[in-house]
Amino acid sequence: MKAARGFFARLLRNRMAAAGLLVLALILAVVLAAPILPLADPDATDPARRLLPPFSEGAWLGTDALGRDLLARLVWGSRLSLAVGVAASLLAAVLGSTVGLLAGYLGGWTDTLLMRGIDTLMAFPYLLLALAIVAVLGPGLLNALYAVVVVNIPFFARNVRGVAAGLRHREFVDAARLSGMGSARILLQEVLPNVMPVIVITVSTTIGWMILETAGLSFLGLGSQPPQADLGSMLGEGRKVLINAPHVAAVPGLLVFLIVMSMNLIGDGVRDAIDPRLRTGLPGKPGTATRVERPDVPAGHDGDAGALLDVRNLKVAFDTGSGRNLAVQGVDLAVAPGECLGIIGESGSGKSVTALALARLVPSPPGVITGGVVRFEKDDLLAAPPGLLRRLRGGRIAYVFQDPLTTLHPLMRVGDQVIEAIQAHQRQAAGAARARVHELFAAVRLPEPDRIMQAYPHELSGGQRQRVSIAMALANDPDLIIADEPTTALDVTVQAGILDLLAELRRQRRLALVFISHDFGVIARICDRVAVMHGGEIVETGPVLDVLHRPRHSYTRRLIAAVPVLGRAKEILRTDPLEAPA
Amino acid sequence: MPAYVLGRLLALLPVLFGLSLIVFLIMALIPGDPAQAILGSYATPENVARINRDLGLDRSLPVQYLTWLGNVVTGDLGRSYSLNRPVLDEVLERFSATLILAGAALVLASVLGLLAGIVSAVYQYGLADKLVTFAVLIGISLPSFWLGLLLILLFAVRWRLLPVSGMYAIYGGGGLVDLLWHLILPATTLAVVAAGVIARLTRSAMLEVLRQDFVRTARAKGVSERGVVFRHALKAAMVTVIPVIGIQAGFVLGGAVYIETVFQWPGIGRMLVDAIGTRDILLVQGGVLVVAASYVLFNLLADVVQRLLDPRIAA
Amino acid sequence: MTVIRSALASLFLAGLLVLPALRPADAQIPADVLVVGQIAEPASMDPAVSTATNDFRILVNLYEGLVRYKPGTLEVEPALAESWTISEDGRVYEFKLRQAVTFHDGTPFDAEAVKFNFERMLDENHPAAGTGPFPLAFFFSAIEKVEVVDPQTVRFTLTEAFAPFLSNLAYPTGLIVSPSAVTEQGQDYARNPVGTGPFRFVEWVGSQQVTIERNPDYWGEPAKLQTVVFRPIADANTRAAEMLAGGIDVMVEVPPDALGQFSGGDFQVHEQAGPHLWFLILNTREGPLQDKRVRQAVNYAIDKQVIADNILQGTAVPAKGPIAPAFEWAYDDTIEGYPHDPDKAKALLAEAGAEGARLTFYVAESGSGMLDPVAIGTAIQADLAKVGLEVEIQTYEWNTYLANVNAGLGDKADMAEMAWMTNDPDTLPYLTLRTDALPENGGFNSGYYSNPELDRILDEARRESEQDKRGELYRQAQRIIVEDAPWAFIAHWQQNAVTTGTVQGFALQPSFFLLLDDVSKQ
Repeated sequence: MKAARGFFARLLRNRMAAAGLLVLALILAVVLAAPILPLADPDATDPARRLLPPFSEGAWLGTDALGRDLLARLVWGSRLSLAVGVAASLLAAVLGSTVGLLAGYLGGWTDTLLMRGIDTLMAFPYLLLALAIVAVLGPGLLNALYAVVVVNIPFFARNVRGVAAGLRHREFVDAARLSGMGSARILLQEVLPNVMPVIVITVSTTIGWMILETAGLSFLGLGSQPPQADLGSMLGEGRKVLINAPHVAAVPGLLVFLIVMSMNLIGDGVRDAIDPRLRTGLPGKPGTATRVERPDVPAGHDGDAGALLDVRNLKVAFDTGSGRNLAVQGVDLAVAPGECLGIIGESGSGKSVTALALARLVPSPPGVITGGVVRFEKDDLLAAPPGLLRRLRGGRIAYVFQDPLTTLHPLMRVGDQVIEAIQAHQRQAAGAARARVHELFAAVRLPEPDRIMQAYPHELSGGQRQRVSIAMALANDPDLIIADEPTTALDVTVQAGILDLLAELRRQRRLALVFISHDFGVIARICDRVAVMHGGEIVETGPVLDVLHRPRHSYTRRLIAAVPVLGRAKEILRTDPLEAPA
Repeated sequence: MPAYVLGRLLALLPVLFGLSLIVFLIMALIPGDPAQAILGSYATPENVARINRDLGLDRSLPVQYLTWLGNVVTGDLGRSYSLNRPVLDEVLERFSATLILAGAALVLASVLGLLAGIVSAVYQYGLADKLVTFAVLIGISLPSFWLGLLLILLFAVRWRLLPVSGMYAIYGGGGLVDLLWHLILPATTLAVVAAGVIARLTRSAMLEVLRQDFVRTARAKGVSERGVVFRHALKAAMVTVIPVIGIQAGFVLGGAVYIETVFQWPGIGRMLVDAIGTRDILLVQGGVLVVAASYVLFNLLADVVQRLLDPRIAA
Repeated sequence: MTVIRSALASLFLAGLLVLPALRPADAQIPADVLVVGQIAEPASMDPAVSTATNDFRILVNLYEGLVRYKPGTLEVEPALAESWTISEDGRVYEFKLRQAVTFHDGTPFDAEAVKFNFERMLDENHPAAGTGPFPLAFFFSAIEKVEVVDPQTVRFTLTEAFAPFLSNLAYPTGLIVSPSAVTEQGQDYARNPVGTGPFRFVEWVGSQQVTIERNPDYWGEPAKLQTVVFRPIADANTRAAEMLAGGIDVMVEVPPDALGQFSGGDFQVHEQAGPHLWFLILNTREGPLQDKRVRQAVNYAIDKQVIADNILQGTAVPAKGPIAPAFEWAYDDTIEGYPHDPDKAKALLAEAGAEGARLTFYVAESGSGMLDPVAIGTAIQADLAKVGLEVEIQTYEWNTYLANVNAGLGDKADMAEMAWMTNDPDTLPYLTLRTDALPENGGFNSGYYSNPELDRILDEARRESEQDKRGELYRQAQRIIVEDAPWAFIAHWQQNAVTTGTVQGFALQPSFFLLLDDVSKQ
């Protein structure tokens, strides 16, 4: 019940959907009240008073070609059309979902046969199918309803089958099967509830369409029988006098339009409200750069004279439905040229948000930078115009992200992605850019650069992908690389290789590195200094060895203790002594 | 890929076979027969029997169907009694007219729908988004015959800018320019719904994609916003949009009947409705087969494009 | 995102600039070309095959028959036959043919050609019988044999006297086609017509246009127009829009409500009453309408004037009996029929004890000659409701409708709409009201009306070759039919057409044909 309340709350929060609901509710109220409203007889003809314009005496909306009161016909007609449209949707939902469930759950031959049938049905021009059905069954609104139902079965069948097929081998279904449940019970008790959202979404998005289709059939004379009014037959009658009395078609046309539109609005709202991705509270698409809302710009601060990157009092928040949550609450950081700063903390500590906020890559909405200064040499990045920000990103400041399978474009060859990085900052001919990619791939020790350039991300191994990402970060000889858990998604041996590579590159190219990780062992292996983050704040900072050996903060101690084998961290320190930045 | 396409084409055969059987049964079940349609008020049993004999309709249904099937295998779709010409000629002529109309409408719908979808995704919740969303809602909720007639009355009758109906001018016509000229109104009318559907889908696909990690990567690389939207986001969004364009192609092909009627476009949708009316079973068979096959082929084409676009699906 | 904005703007601008530039040179219709807006694509250009008025409008300009209707009437006058004689017993017709007439393909028109034409329709073993089926061949089923007396003389021998024979010859089914063209083209002849008429065929572009041009070798007065183009425009609103936009010169079958658009100014509206009757078949075998008083009550209850004036906007006149006034020589103008009188209807119903009876009413959605069947049906339903009859309408698509009605109303329906256009007063009652025409006998008497006296009169009229005597017999028949009320007589259609102001010499015919040889444009 709580879920339902949440659903309606979300639905109503969507202003468009709420407007749609309001319009539909109004129409429904009028239509349901039809028997008690002071309306004229919708079927009483008076040819002498035909085609009266709207606002005529005794006929607010005018009269049709037989002199019948349009208002009365409109109200009664909508009543019928709505009833038929809703009934058709529900019937199509039940039948189509049954076919889809059976095909998806049983699979094999049943699936092939049923879906071939559905394919055949879909390939049949829908209007003709409807025409043929009505021609066989005879005219009448009920038969038109059947026709619309048959035509719409495939939509439900296809959508439901997809989901049901996905559920077939899920653990809970297997478990139910092992516990000796019959297929019918499994379908009803285990599969159906999980398929329900798809059915609801399909109903809510097709119901408007169904009303339009039923109206279409009536419009062709295949629906309601005279003198009974429904919106479609009213449109059809109005069409004959469209040129000289446009209101006769316009009035029902407008109402069809209103009903279908409100249904569509509600349908969209329902879809959004059910869609689990939206439940997590990411309402919009991210903009180019994180929004900055600093109440006051800390003035007169020149920063650390020697620092490449100097961050003071950085605050980042996320807007949620219930208010603004501060994720980073005033962080100070400084990185000297060529220095490696590690940021460590558990998930949710704000370390990744801090890293992304540096070049304003926190998705916004919902992210907002609410305070502080991020100074890169002399520029305050939080005040940088879009052009400058774009030049710095990938130019002097480069990023390496955690999971290269999702962070590389899945549909572009990796070579092209690196070339794009180069060409975003340097005018280089295609040939020269390719040669540069060769160099970069050699630098990150990728074998067979030609083959790899032609490959798509999914064709490479995890380690190869991360090397491509690093090559991409190096493309424009950056001064600073921000690596956000670059090795977390890799297995241990590959991880070591990537760490060695980063360490070596840093040495060769005098790169400054901000290295984010939750693993003290990894940080200790390549960083000079470390900042420990907890709850959006830096709780401790200092040279790696100092912090590791003499943690002052209890949280730091716990983090160190969390390194899988405590002894191993020391071992790394012993075998691979850190070199001081030269 | 060729094996995949071949497989799909082979799968088309049973669908077409099933369709022809359904069409045949439906036409047999519908009251009224060709003789009735030819004779109209003069359909005495005697006359009906004579015409049925002439048309070969006095044989048993299975025999009729098998004869037809045998001829189809040899490429002969029979002869339309209501139009007095070979079914194949008529169907091809009408289908090409529909293809031109539907093709133009689909291109228009895709261009407009994609642009509108992109704009509305990029400016999500902004004025442009609201305008597009509203326009799309109007578009998919309007009866197309109504829109068609409105456009005729305004552009052709009131302002005399565009022709009312037909495919070519009766006089001094012919040629591509004349065709395009006659296409504007019907193609626009037909494109409206499809454009709306495509725009809605493009918008949600773009919004989905713009949240992905690889878009953040592109921004982190310093790619311009235009590059982010068109090179990165749109490319990925197209993978979801293309199949829907394929499905829309089917709808546009099958749903062109109203537009073909209003604009007197000599297309196959209108032909099928007329053929059902005159109980011209061979013509209905031929038309349905072509329309259904083209529907399947359009979807296949969409799948192939999708596969070319997304290397992950291939194999 | 200025990129998108500028892309959109430039697209829009490009559209604005390019479209008018692309606009084809103004395709004005030249003065010697007439474009006719038709209601549908023709089915066939073979007059023996075709059954539709829509096709006839083209055919009568391409072909001629032995005889034709005198312009403005339904009376027969010579055409390809210069004169004819009829034997005493009315069984032998001998026609003298016009000399030096050739078909458009250059072959001569002669008695052999005439013989070929009728034998093609009637003899199943004729070499050209495969160009059929010939649905209206029964118009000539009375022919026993056709003989060539000499090249200019042809003799028809009938199995029995058949007065409508000449009138049937004037019907499009009797138009003469070129035997050599039919033989050469076989089944393709239907799309490549060759006749002797004032126009000859040029081309037929599927569902777009049929073009015909002046026949320079015509034996009579040559046509004034160089070219006539028939365009099928099925949608009535579109047809009206084309007319308003100047895309066509002539529009036939203007929907009643569109007529207002063409009053005055640059347009001319033409009207012509024809041999048409719109009526209700009443079921005299089953249900409440078995009682003559109830059938009369139905007739009184319906306000025909309002239907003709308001619903059909004056495109029809109320009907008083079964025969159209267009058949002047057979029409009885003393018949009062059933004026609108709800009180009398109620009284009759009370007398018959049929107050509040429930009736099932078959209504067609459309159909040849049916005018606006759903609207009329609905109006009738409302009129009958006012006298306490509860009517349930069932609508059917035209072919389904015909199948249902022709089979007889049985116990399924009490009333059904129907309309006929005929070329002779004999046709309608003979096919639909005789005892021998009951559905079980293969006729169209779907309401099962049977009156031996009427049967006798109709048979006699059929054999009577003298028009005056025939006319008197039909007047007798009318009085019987009106009194027995097997039908409710509703309306006679007045055919209409709109032409632009520049069209001269245009006249509609009672036969509903469209003769264009005298038409010109200024």
